[in-house]
Amino acid sequence: MQEVAIIGAGVTPCKGRWLEQTYWGLGQMAVIASLEDAGISISDVDAVVYGIYNDIFEMSAIPEHNLQGIIGMANKPGMRVTNGGASGAYAMIAAYTQVASGMYDVVACLGVEKATDCFDFESMTSTPEVIKTIAWSGDTFYERELGWTASDSYAEVILAYLDEHPDDLQDEVSAEISAILCQQAQNNPYAQRLGETVTKEMAFNSRYIVYPFKLLETCVYTEGAGCLIFASKDKAEAICKNAGNAPIWVTGLGAVNEHHVAGVDGRHKIMPRIMSDHLSAQAAYKMAGIKNPLKEIQVIEAHDAFIKQLQVTMGELGFVDLGRTDELITEGLMTPGGPLLVNPSGGLTYAGHFVGGSNMMSCWSARRELLSRELDHALVHGTGSTIAQYGATIVLERR
Amino acid sequence: MTEKVIPIHMIPDKVSFIEKSGKDRYLVANEAMYTFYRRSKGEQSPYFIGIKEKKRIYGRKCTKCGIVRVPPFTETCPDCDFAPTKLVMMPDTGKMLSTPPITYFAHSLFQDIAPFGRGRVVLKGADTGVPILVYTTKGVLRPGIFKKDTPVKVVFRDERLGNPRDIFAVPTSELTPAQVKKKGLTESELDWSGAVEPKIKKSAEAKKALDKTLKEMNKLANKVKRSKRAKADLAGWKRRISIKTAGGAFGMRIDDGLLEVSAGAMKRAEVVMVCEDPTLFTDWVSSTEALTNAIIVGKLWINKNAEFKTVFKLDRLPRSLRRA
Repeated sequence: MQEVAIIGAGVTPCKGRWLEQTYWGLGQMAVIASLEDAGISISDVDAVVYGIYNDIFEMSAIPEHNLQGIIGMANKPGMRVTNGGASGAYAMIAAYTQVASGMYDVVACLGVEKATDCFDFESMTSTPEVIKTIAWSGDTFYERELGWTASDSYAEVILAYLDEHPDDLQDEVSAEISAILCQQAQNNPYAQRLGETVTKEMAFNSRYIVYPFKLLETCVYTEGAGCLIFASKDKAEAICKNAGNAPIWVTGLGAVNEHHVAGVDGRHKIMPRIMSDHLSAQAAYKMAGIKNPLKEIQVIEAHDAFIKQLQVTMGELGFVDLGRTDELITEGLMTPGGPLLVNPSGGLTYAGHFVGGSNMMSCWSARRELLSRELDHALVHGTGSTIAQYGATIVLERR
Repeated sequence: MTEKVIPIHMIPDKVSFIEKSGKDRYLVANEAMYTFYRRSKGEQSPYFIGIKEKKRIYGRKCTKCGIVRVPPFTETCPDCDFAPTKLVMMPDTGKMLSTPPITYFAHSLFQDIAPFGRGRVVLKGADTGVPILVYTTKGVLRPGIFKKDTPVKVVFRDERLGNPRDIFAVPTSELTPAQVKKKGLTESELDWSGAVEPKIKKSAEAKKALDKTLKEMNKLANKVKRSKRAKADLAGWKRRISIKTAGGAFGMRIDDGLLEVSAGAMKRAEVVMVCEDPTLFTDWVSSTEALTNAIIVGKLWINKNAEFKTVFKLDRLPRSLRRA
C-alpha cells in the first residue's frame, strides 16, 4: 500500500435549486474547481470515482455515464459508488483504494446530486416529492409502504437512544448546536444558507417534522457538486510543490454496514446505537494510529442529517460519552473557542446536503481548515441508509 | 373504482415553460419517471398470505440456534452458516422494541394519513421487530402513548391486500380483555370514538388576552393579503376553522390564498381547535410557537388527524411573512 494524499478540492455553490445548471454542468464545475486548486490538468488524472446517491433524482439509471466525457475522462476508468447518505464517503474510500493499491497515481472523486427537480404538483413545492424520492430507498417489502422516510428512520434510532438516555439530547442543546452551525456557515462562501440567521430560540421554537426532529435542526435539500483529487505520495509531493499547497494525507479509513433489521440483541441492529459510526471510527483510528480522538483530532466534519443524530454520532466517534453528548455544549467541547471545531462548513444543516457529494464538501472543508489554521488532524464522516445502517470515517493529516 | 397504483390526481399535465434567472431563460418541463411492476413476493410470500387470508402472523425459527425472526425475511440463518429455518405461527401481542417516531410532515403518498407513527413490535417469542404502523383509538397520535416496552396488540384491517399496511398496533391498554385475547382482531371491532373535545373554563383574564390575540391575528391576515409567498402557502385550500379558548371563541377562514379572522364562534367549521390560553396564537404570529408543536405537547387540541395538513399550511405563514 502506498501513501495517499488529497491534493485538490473544489465545490460548487450549494443551492436549494440550480435552475441554471443540470447535474452535468454542476459536475463539470466541481471538477474544474478541484483541478485549478491542485494546479493540474484533467489529462493528469488517471481515473474517476463518482458518488451519486439516487438514480431518481438524476432521472437516469446510470447517471454517471454522461459525466465521463463531459469532465474530460473519456477512454479512462470511471466507477460509480452509491451507498445512501454515505455515498460520498464510500466513493472517497474507493478513490483512496485505487491509489493506495498502486493501480493509479491520480484519481478524481466527484460527488454530485440534483434533488429538487423532483416536484410535488399537489403542494406545488419540491419537498414532499424529494422526501418521497428518498423514501424509495426504504425496505421494499416491509417498511416503505408504512410511510418510511429517512427522517422517521433516523428518528427511530434517536428515540431508542433517548429510551436509554432520557436526560441527554435536551432541546436547548440541539437548538444551540443548530445556531452555532448557522454562524459557522457564514464563513463558507458556498453554503446554501449564507446570509441566513438562525438563533437558538428560532431553532428551539421551529416546528417538528418528525418527532423529535425539528425543522431548523434538520439538513436541507441541496443541488451541487464537489470534487477531490487523490494522488500517490510521489505525485502528491511533486504536484503540491508546484501548486504551493501542502498535501493532506489520508491516514485512516473505516466503513461498516449494519443489519437493516432491528432486534433484541447484536445479531441485528441495536436500535439505540449507531454501531456503523462506532465501528468505522475504530477501524479508521486504528489505521491512523489515533489513540485519543478528543486530544488528537481538532477538526470534525460529521454528517449532520439531524442535529440530535450529530450528537449521538459524536458520541459514537469517541469525542464525548454516550448518554452525555449534551456536554458538547455544556462543557464547551464544540462551542466557539472550544477544543473541537465541529462542522466549520455549517454542516449539512446549513452548508447543504447534495447527497452523493455532501461528504466531498465536508472533506473540502476539513482540508481547508487544516491548511488555513495549520492544524494536524481532521475527521470526515458519512452516514446513510435506513436506521443509520451505513457509516464511514476518514482521518486526514497535515504534516 | 379500484385504487390506482399511481393516484390519478397526482399526475401533472405534459407541458413546458420558460423560467428566468436574471436575464437568462431556461426551459423547464413537467416530466415523470415511472415503472409498473407485477412483482412476486417470492420467499416472503407466506408472511403476506398469512396476513391477507388467515389473519395470522408468521415468523421463521432457526433449526440450529433457535432465533425467531419476524417478519420471516430469510429462509436460512446467516448466523448459523445458513442453516435452514422453519415457518412458525406467532402470537399477535408483544411489546414495542423502542419508542416509535411520529411523522408530521409526510411525503406526498402519505400526507393524507399524517401524523402517523411507525414502529417495531417484538411479538412474544420473537428476536426481531415487525415494522408496523401504530394507532391510538383516543384521538390524535402524540408522543408518550407508545414507548419502549409498551404492550400492544396487532390488529388486522378489514380489507387486506397482503401488504404491510394490512396490520397495525394499538396499546393493549385501550382494548378490552376479550379483545386482547381474541385472535385476528379487526379494525372494525375497535371503538374509534375516543376523541373527546376538551372542556375549558372561561376567564376574564383570557378574554383580555383574546382581544389582543385577535388584533395580532388580523394584522397577520392583512399581511398575508400583501405577501405573494404567504398567499402561495394557502393557495387552493379552503377551510373554516373554529377556535375555542378560555377567553371565548374565534374563527379563521382560509379561502384560496386568503386568510380571514373573525371574533365569535365559527359556524359550519370543518376544523375545531381548543386551547386554554389564547396567547398561544399571539405566540404563533410572532414565530415563538408552532401550532404543530402545540398539538404535540398537548397545548392545542384538534378534532381530526387529517387536518394536520391545514395546520402545516398555517405554520408556514409567520415564516413566509418574515422572509418576505
